[in-house]
Amino acid sequence: MIAVEALVKTYGSFTAVDGVSLSVEPGEIHGFLGPNGAGKTTTIRIIAGLLKPTSGRITINGHDLAQAPEAAKASLGFIPDRPFLYEKLTAREFLRFHGGLYGMAAAEAEERASEMLELFELARWQGELVESFSHGMKQRLVMCAAFLHRPRAVLVDEPMVGLDPRGARLIKDIFRLMSRKGVAILMSTHTLEVAQEMCDRISIILRGQIIARGTVDELLALAGGEDEQLTPVFLKLTGGSGLQEIEEVL
Amino acid sequence: MTTQPFPYLLLPTLWAIRNRARRREHGDGTRIAIFGSLAMVVGVAIFGIVFWLTWQLLDYAELGDYLIRLGLSWLFLTFLSFLAFSGVVTSLSTFFLSEDLRLLLAAPVSRERLFYSRFVKTVGQAGWMVVTFLVPVVMGVGLARCAGPSYYLTALLTLIPFVVIPVAVGSVITLILVNVFPARRARDILTLMGLLFAMAIVMMLRFLRPERLLRVESLPDIASFFSTLQSPVAPLLPSFWAGETLFASLQGGQDWLHAGSLWTTALALLVLARVAFGRYYFTGWSKAQEARKARFTQLRFLDALARALPGGPVGRHLFVKDLKVFLRDTTQWSQLLLLFALMLVYLYNFRVLDLDRIPYMSGVVKNTYAFVNLAMAAFVLSAVAVRFVFPSVSAEGQAFWIVRTSPVPMRAFLWSKFWTGLVPVLIIAEALTVASNHFLGAAPFLRVLGAVAVLFMTFALVGLATGMGAMYPRFNAENLTQVAGSYGGIGYMVLAVLFILVEVALLGWSSSIRLWHEYRGIPVPPAQVALMAALLLTAVVVAALTFWTAMQRGVRALEAMEA
Repeated sequence: MIAVEALVKTYGSFTAVDGVSLSVEPGEIHGFLGPNGAGKTTTIRIIAGLLKPTSGRITINGHDLAQAPEAAKASLGFIPDRPFLYEKLTAREFLRFHGGLYGMAAAEAEERASEMLELFELARWQGELVESFSHGMKQRLVMCAAFLHRPRAVLVDEPMVGLDPRGARLIKDIFRLMSRKGVAILMSTHTLEVAQEMCDRISIILRGQIIARGTVDELLALAGGEDEQLTPVFLKLTGGSGLQEIEEVL
Repeated sequence: MTTQPFPYLLLPTLWAIRNRARRREHGDGTRIAIFGSLAMVVGVAIFGIVFWLTWQLLDYAELGDYLIRLGLSWLFLTFLSFLAFSGVVTSLSTFFLSEDLRLLLAAPVSRERLFYSRFVKTVGQAGWMVVTFLVPVVMGVGLARCAGPSYYLTALLTLIPFVVIPVAVGSVITLILVNVFPARRARDILTLMGLLFAMAIVMMLRFLRPERLLRVESLPDIASFFSTLQSPVAPLLPSFWAGETLFASLQGGQDWLHAGSLWTTALALLVLARVAFGRYYFTGWSKAQEARKARFTQLRFLDALARALPGGPVGRHLFVKDLKVFLRDTTQWSQLLLLFALMLVYLYNFRVLDLDRIPYMSGVVKNTYAFVNLAMAAFVLSAVAVRFVFPSVSAEGQAFWIVRTSPVPMRAFLWSKFWTGLVPVLIIAEALTVASNHFLGAAPFLRVLGAVAVLFMTFALVGLATGMGAMYPRFNAENLTQVAGSYGGIGYMVLAVLFILVEVALLGWSSSIRLWHEYRGIPVPPAQVALMAALLLTAVVVAALTFWTAMQRGVRALEAMEA
């Protein structure tokens, strides 16, 4: 559903993304992990059509993003890490506008907006201005918008930031439900527990390159199979600081 | 999938305006009343002047027609350059820096629809001021000449392409700039260019010395005057076409050639801009997303300077931080260039003021001017304070939590803001007053009084700005100009004007007693001396109270802040 081939993005002499290839199949939740500055957000923003790649090819639902950007984007839902929302619109107005952007008929958009607002527990605040929303509520509104037009693939950058435990549970349930319906989800996150719990496959990126890929069990085995949790595996693979160093500093 | 036409993309702006109108915020009514009244006064004044001038020119038959024709050409030429520049700056924001572009570009919106919607927005934002100014002008000319409805229709049909042409050119220039420089760096360059442009225009207009035109000996001879009138102003520019089209319809005819030139050029440029944007927009946008490299000066001298200053370490650190942030933000300090130009023009006015031409009265007029000058200098400093000192607390923005959670008393924080603002404003105010009184040739007593008065008035006005800035902060404002134009900023200006009027009245009254006696060569009686002292003391007390009350209330407001 999402196919990325040999993606490269350079800024002057700095290579932010260096030959990344990955694919996300229908119904798959694919985790995209990496330390800060590894190139996750740049990759996701290129796939979303917000950045021009230096080279490489991206197809979404069979549409080449460079050749047919509108068709590719119409199949995609995007949940950015720092979403933009029109602060002076109400939640419903925002969804209505979003539906129009994705070519939904007015009646269909209204009906679907009601469903999404109910699903993400925002129906009570649908007539309130977005500026009065908490961070978690804004995050849920962005998700409403991302799923509004029934996308075939969804890109998610840091979905759990700012969500309370109930909100986080809700999002996890919805992502699982969507994947069961055949939606391909590519999810970048720092919350390794979430990745371990939800992802069918995980790609780990470091300094712009994919250094490991596989199911959770395959990644655990790759790191020696001594740990049951992803965190130590992630630190081993990405070279995180050891406890001894921290103790020395403190 | 239904594809919505491009105006659909403008809906959030319209809905936001509607929602904003429905849910009024604190101070909206006052702001609307003040700005509405001001706009109305300016509009009526422009209309009145244009109507009167056109009416007067009716008496001069053919010469009057020439002058109207020339006037229209010059007016449109002035606006053409303004619109082109405004188009460059506005399109940088609408096409490359707007936050909502991330949402729109991730959606299946064609480049064409995006271009047209953004272009309409750019035309609206870049052209509204010119159109608002032109409406009373067009109406004034039309009503004075009893023009028919076709004149007003022609005016409308002339204005649209006249605004579209420079904005299209400006947008393409921006597209080129953004593809060459990163957008955020391009914004700095444009801001600087704009201010240098404005500064040059202000100084050029003043240094032309238009007052010379009032002297008979400086008028050109009649023949060269008429030859000037008959040669068109820049006939290849759209401003000339617009002026000719409008003038023809004012005469009851139609100038299809120039109207056609306007429309065909506008449409051709629109098509050209669309093609250029279709080809290079995404590359430019993508470049605009790249983080700007931290190219900045370390400004180490500020650390050394802070060490030499009296006060505690907290004040020093706040001072260094405020100054570094200010100097590294081009949009902030570059406005000082314009201020500098205005100050030069202000002083130049006093330099060329020829009061000695007025027999017997030049001394009295000079001394009266010294007070006008004091008031003017105080108005200038209050305008500087509202722009640079009033927003100093709001400038902390979302980072204010750092100060609030640190063991820094709010009193120390606000006093640091006060001193950081006071020193530059005081230097400006003293320089203005002393230099202008020197050029004016005011009495020595008034020169000293002016210098001393400006000293305590500056303390009061900067204190008032700092205190009120703390009482009415806007931490979420997109830029500091917005803070200056907020409810609190307007409140500050109203209080500052009242304060200046009271001070000038008190100082003027006391000084007039001394000057009256001095003029007649008689000593000032003791009772009058006592009255003078009382008036001067009152002026000092009013200033001290203004300063102290504002600062105290500012500190209390910061301490009571809950959000």
